[in-house]
Amino acid sequence: MNSEQTPKNSASAELALPTGWLNPYLHLAINGLLVTVSELMLKCGAMETIKPDASLLLNIFGFSTLGSWWVWGGIACYILGFINWLHILRWIPLSLAFPLTSVVHVLIPLGSWFFLGEYINPMRWLGIALIIAGIWFIAKPLMWSEEAL
Amino acid sequence: MTARLLLLIILAQIALVSGQIFLKHGMNFTQTENMRYSPIIRNISAGILALTIWFLLWMGLMQKLDLSYLYPFEGMSPVLLVIATCIILKEKLDLRSWAGVCLIALGTFIVGTS
Repeated sequence: MNSEQTPKNSASAELALPTGWLNPYLHLAINGLLVTVSELMLKCGAMETIKPDASLLLNIFGFSTLGSWWVWGGIACYILGFINWLHILRWIPLSLAFPLTSVVHVLIPLGSWFFLGEYINPMRWLGIALIIAGIWFIAKPLMWSEEAL
Repeated sequence: MTARLLLLIILAQIALVSGQIFLKHGMNFTQTENMRYSPIIRNISAGILALTIWFLLWMGLMQKLDLSYLYPFEGMSPVLLVIATCIILKEKLDLRSWAGVCLIALGTFIVGTS
């Protein structure tokens, strides 16, 4: 009942991963989606606010993009993604979590293709396939150990 | 590409890797301590600072260089980070995961340069 209050055993005892909505692997997937959505929203906002005649200072730092609601949506998604990332780091080794975030290099080109109508050449499809293969290499044993629990 | 830009790229990579390691080191304490424990706050703050430096350096580089020059370095960051994690945080990685990291780096390289 009051398992929250009991002092947690150090080093030797591995804590059980949280399940359900707090499962860190679920959050890793959500993190990939949040980063992708925010990048696509930032791109929409940047395209919407192009002003060739704006002053040099505004152009260099991209401040003019702050006038777009898309950009603020993108920023909000980024902040959520950071909080989400801290939760992931609490439970998953960095050497596994960080390579898995490379899924954004797959999702962003796919999102740009699907939502923004950008072109993906055959070489880029090959790169996307390699990234998916790498993620599969890392993620497969993790899924196995999750099933074993 | 000049030596100065290369130096900036290396600095940006160091900032990214050290920022992530600070964050992870800080969050490792949350297994045993509550969030107000000062090493957690200190490490997370250092992590946010390092990642802010990385972000600014990277934005500056993106203004000066084509993304296709920068993407191969973006692809290297998982490899550098995993090496640093194994050395500094003593995380263990099996051969299969190393192969996965290398495939991801190669794939990111191709996505960026194609």
